[in-house]
Amino acid sequence: MKMNEEMLNSLRTIGTGGVVVHLTTCSSEGIPNTVGERFVAAFGEEHIVIADMFAQKTKVNLNENPVGVITVAHPVKGRHWAFRGPCTILMWGEDENYDFHGVRAGDVLQEWGDWASKEPPSEVPPDIRPPALCQRGVITLKVDEVYSWKPDESGRPVL
Amino acid sequence: MATLTPRMKAWVEKFGAHIGTATKQGYPTTIVVEQASITGDGTVAFTLTPAQANQIKDNIAQNPYVALAPHAIASIRAAYQFKGSAALSGNTLQATVKEIYCTKPGPEAALRLDVLPVESIVKFEESRWRDSGPPK
Repeated sequence: MKMNEEMLNSLRTIGTGGVVVHLTTCSSEGIPNTVGERFVAAFGEEHIVIADMFAQKTKVNLNENPVGVITVAHPVKGRHWAFRGPCTILMWGEDENYDFHGVRAGDVLQEWGDWASKEPPSEVPPDIRPPALCQRGVITLKVDEVYSWKPDESGRPVL
Repeated sequence: MATLTPRMKAWVEKFGAHIGTATKQGYPTTIVVEQASITGDGTVAFTLTPAQANQIKDNIAQNPYVALAPHAIASIRAAYQFKGSAALSGNTLQATVKEIYCTKPGPEAALRLDVLPVESIVKFEESRWRDSGPPK
């Protein structure tokens, strides 16, 4: 599913005018895990990428249950979107020709595999800034569905 | 049941949370509730709209596990995840927190906090963050 222009323009790091999102994954036994992510971007028109900075439980969950939901957390400004679809972590060392739902691992890693160099979080206050940025891969979600999380219309398809 | 600190309670109460739910087979659905009521040391209540209740009622009925992550500016300032179970009664989702994690990026990501005495969690918070809750 292709995202619209507003979505594509919003899905970038908050320091460049984008958003913080939450990523929900789930174990194969049904235990959800929801964590905030600030290093986010659209990759092409159908994928969302997030820096994998040792997201421990997320990795375990995606290894056994490769699906996720990304919800916009801040700033919302009318962007009440939840993106759901197949999700994985493209790790450094992956076969660069590995295809994940239409994207090539080498292309994703080349563009977003060293986020800290590309977009250092210089605007982040010291007490919430990560002391070190170590990235082992790129969490990649193929957008199959977009629904609204706006409270009075929650679950309504957006696209 | 885990015990929430005053800082955790203050951020969640004011800004609510992204609530991760799933089917028993692990298909996730997240809703966002923009404020909450603290109903006990480890319990949080969310008032859902009819659309929200309808969206997650089947998930909660078959699988009560939930994950809560603070919403809005709290997603940055209050880097916690609360895991537990929830029950839906009418339009009220009552969550009982059983696990608390720090989700601050870096070496402390996924650090489990509820295994510490509450005084130690508070000391941890005071050493990591400058605020004790959202601005009044």
